[in-house]
Amino acid sequence: MKNGKAPGQKASQETCQIIRATPLSEEKQRACYYPENTQVIFVKRILITAVIAAGTFLPAITHAQTDSISLQPVNIKGFVPEKFMSGLKVQRIDSASLLAFQFQNISDLLAIQTPVSFNKYGPGQLTTAFFRGTSANHTAVLWNGLNINSPTLGQTDFSTIPVAGFDALSIQYGSAASIVGTDAVGGSILLNSAAGENGFKVLLGQQVESFHNHQTQVAARYGSALRNNWRISGKTSLYDNRMNNQFPYRQRREYALLPSEAFQRGLVQDIFISGKNNQEISAHAWITSNKLTTSPADTAGRELTLTKAYRAMLRYSVGDFTARAAWVRDIIDYAKGNYRQLDHAVTDKFSNRIEKDFDFILNQNGSNISMKAGAEWTHYRTRVPGYETPVITENRGDFFLLTRWQVNAPLVVSVNLRQALVTGYNPPFTPSLGAEYQLIELPGYKLKIKSSVARSYRVPTLNERYWKVLGDPNIRPENGWNKEAGIEQAFVISPKSQLDVSVTAYHNRIKDWTYWNPVKNYRIENLQQVLARGVEIQAGWRGSIDVTQLGTNITYAYNKSIQERAYDAYSVDVIGKQLRFVPLYTAGLSTFAQYRNTKLTGQLQFAGKRYTTFDNSTFLKEYALLHLLAETSVSFGKVYLRVQGQINNVTNTFYLSVQNNALPGRSFAINLIAAFDSKTKQARVRQDEF
Amino acid sequence: MKQRLSRVLYFIAFSAAVSSCNQSDPEPKGDFAKGVFVVNEGNFSQNNGAISFLKRENTTAEADIFSKVNGSALTGGVQGYAATGEYGVILVDNSNAGMDKIEFVNAYTFQKQGTIGAPDIENPREVVVAGNRAYVSCWGSYTSDYSSGYIAVVDITTRKVTKKIPIAGGPENLVFTTGKLFVGTVSYGEGKTLYVIDTNAETVTKTIALDATPTPIGLDANGKLWVGAGIKTMKIDPTSYAVETTLPIGTDANKIAGNFALTNDLKSIVFTLSYFDANFVSHGETYKFGINDTQISLATPLIRRMFTGLAVDPAQGLIYAGVTPSYAQAGYAIRYRADGSVVDSVKVNVAPTGFFFQ
Repeated sequence: MKNGKAPGQKASQETCQIIRATPLSEEKQRACYYPENTQVIFVKRILITAVIAAGTFLPAITHAQTDSISLQPVNIKGFVPEKFMSGLKVQRIDSASLLAFQFQNISDLLAIQTPVSFNKYGPGQLTTAFFRGTSANHTAVLWNGLNINSPTLGQTDFSTIPVAGFDALSIQYGSAASIVGTDAVGGSILLNSAAGENGFKVLLGQQVESFHNHQTQVAARYGSALRNNWRISGKTSLYDNRMNNQFPYRQRREYALLPSEAFQRGLVQDIFISGKNNQEISAHAWITSNKLTTSPADTAGRELTLTKAYRAMLRYSVGDFTARAAWVRDIIDYAKGNYRQLDHAVTDKFSNRIEKDFDFILNQNGSNISMKAGAEWTHYRTRVPGYETPVITENRGDFFLLTRWQVNAPLVVSVNLRQALVTGYNPPFTPSLGAEYQLIELPGYKLKIKSSVARSYRVPTLNERYWKVLGDPNIRPENGWNKEAGIEQAFVISPKSQLDVSVTAYHNRIKDWTYWNPVKNYRIENLQQVLARGVEIQAGWRGSIDVTQLGTNITYAYNKSIQERAYDAYSVDVIGKQLRFVPLYTAGLSTFAQYRNTKLTGQLQFAGKRYTTFDNSTFLKEYALLHLLAETSVSFGKVYLRVQGQINNVTNTFYLSVQNNALPGRSFAINLIAAFDSKTKQARVRQDEF
Repeated sequence: MKQRLSRVLYFIAFSAAVSSCNQSDPEPKGDFAKGVFVVNEGNFSQNNGAISFLKRENTTAEADIFSKVNGSALTGGVQGYAATGEYGVILVDNSNAGMDKIEFVNAYTFQKQGTIGAPDIENPREVVVAGNRAYVSCWGSYTSDYSSGYIAVVDITTRKVTKKIPIAGGPENLVFTTGKLFVGTVSYGEGKTLYVIDTNAETVTKTIALDATPTPIGLDANGKLWVGAGIKTMKIDPTSYAVETTLPIGTDANKIAGNFALTNDLKSIVFTLSYFDANFVSHGETYKFGINDTQISLATPLIRRMFTGLAVDPAQGLIYAGVTPSYAQAGYAIRYRADGSVVDSVKVNVAPTGFFFQ
């Protein structure tokens, strides 16, 4: 029997995979104007922004003599002014955790230690974040205070950020647009460099994994006193990841694995020079390259995505004044089959920022006001062949005034104001008000309550504004109001046992949510309105029995995120439904036991059911992954060796990527780190402080 | 108790009736033995195509029956489904190269029977079954220029591709009639040739040059082949290949005629006529004409909307139309009577584009 099928759908879908990201031949572009769906794919293309580097291990060496588990970066001159975030939840990931994840991707760490969930296309492939019930566009990623989301897509591909690429990691929950700027709607992820101490340290690391995957890291950290009280320190690190992904099986439970290989390289260079009159000059560079090939053996259908990023930053501060200049170039090349036609897109971002701090002491009881006034100016220049004109430029400016008022010992209030300016139109004025109050402070119990109300905004991406026909230069910025309240408690159970528990509830309504409307052939529109609500519970316990240290972290989140506004006859099916790809529940558990230099860690990651359609008619099932790590270290004089073994996905759990491909089962990895520290005198370097 | 007894008696009586039927004319057994299969292309980048099943007397459909029965999804866009007897053939087109396939199912139970993957099947488009053969049009591996397309001849009992017959230009729609397979191409391939394959020799025996991309529709009540080509349809003698009638579909070359389907009496053809406005938003209507009409009137549409799929149930004559609100939510199958009046609307899976009646 004849079935009546429209012949043209697939043609347009097939040829349009690369729309919005890469240039198309005239013929292909023509085909692309038929209804199709390109959203996810085009995200994949442009998004794969290289971000690689190495070096986390080094700050840890500098802490070899301290005894605390949670370590602050050595030098926080304030890349991101976290002190004005009172009322907001900020989670600092301790260096022991960073070290345990030394050869992992940042998403592996965040999925276990935070409620941020990730959509994965596969190992080494596009990975996007879903933070507090918002979409992949609503998480700001800051490198030393600079937003490094792709300007064309407004997102970061987290598969390109290895944990080895930064020295310190904080996660800021909820809208912080008044401090961070655009994109910080669900939250922000703050990656920072840290200056080191005097001396010379060098590190070599090598990991061998299942599936013929290898990773190599080389890093050096150095510091020296100069004349006239000046001092220089720096870090150089190189990073090379080869994910060949030669799986010994082609499918799992009838679902195929997507053949792919991903090669990542990175160079990180930090220089800090500090001297008299409280002056500091720092220079930072992060150069990365990612080469992803899917179906590499299929010479007709393979797809190559080459992404490179050059990031450079120069900072100068004297006293209360800081100036910063930065340049970022994102390059994306995409090709299919024989690679003869390479689609090439380049975006440059020039960013300058000045800020000045003011401090007022109000009385002798510790009451004071800190203020930071500043301005930022950013120039974009992009050459994406799918855009209206060959070269697009855009200017953005920001003025901000941040105020932190320590009213008295227990009470802190922050009032932050920001006005952003963008070529063509202006995002809304963005204020925020936050407060923290230390309600109980006893030797054995502490209770702090905090709350914040903040306006957020998201400047449309360059794709949303300038894509030929489908973009709209006048698309409005998204804006929303985030309200949250929470408590933080600390229980000192015994001198060797402490429990920290935090509970936060939030309510975040985002208006003018942009949507590539499939009904209008994927034209961008300010169609949706989203209400994200949820509760996060995090608990951490640390204890010790004799010389054995024990610890557990638990994170749990409930995120209800719904579309509120109807925009066509069939959107009735969508209203009130959970947003696509946002799990209702996420949870993570990490627990360790350490005896002398040997540590065992178990990690459990639970990802809740994720709907894949707006009407919630289809979904990806929930799953839990268990990972086990064992490591031990030994020191010979100034030389330190650590060996770590990992079993990932111990239970061989079956789970799927967003493309309905199977993700790999159980795998193994073993890595060796060899470090030399010119300053270490004692033979033993403790594992958790490294 | 009495009620229960009567239920038992009903059951026995019903069973007896069923078994007596079986003796005279064995009915196929299975949850999906009789009904309408909706082919849902899915969201191409999410590989979530599916087949939904609708019993003619029901007003709701069962979503994604392959997953339901087999515990795993089809993992690709579903491009086509056809069955003969207990043999069902599903075309699955994955967004990644080398992962396309045919899934074989029992047509009555939808239990998975086997798979053929790449390189035998690459970018499958349409399927027809005849005897113990399935003919699958495939664009091949080089979809950028449609140069490597072919018709895969599949033995549905052994589940093997027995031959590939090369067809350039993106082979698409297929019409089978005794000993012959008519093959059209997709417009993006820019082919303007209607191919005729001798299914005994399994070679192309005739090429018919046209001035537009051909879409074979089917054979009408008089045994004549109808072919859509640009904004016209043609009636062709399937033996002599003489073009007997050419009916223009209006004069607006910017419009696209598609989704042709013969009505159950094989005396009329329904189709959609659509266009894209300046913002590339699609608009259109559905029309109908008779096989003996001397012209196609666009004065009064049969249905004032367009669809992503159109088919007529040979058993009841109802028109089944696929609605795709977007590729990110479930679509609908709307049933219309022959006069264009609505019967009902049934939620199916994402992007319904075709129907198979069993």
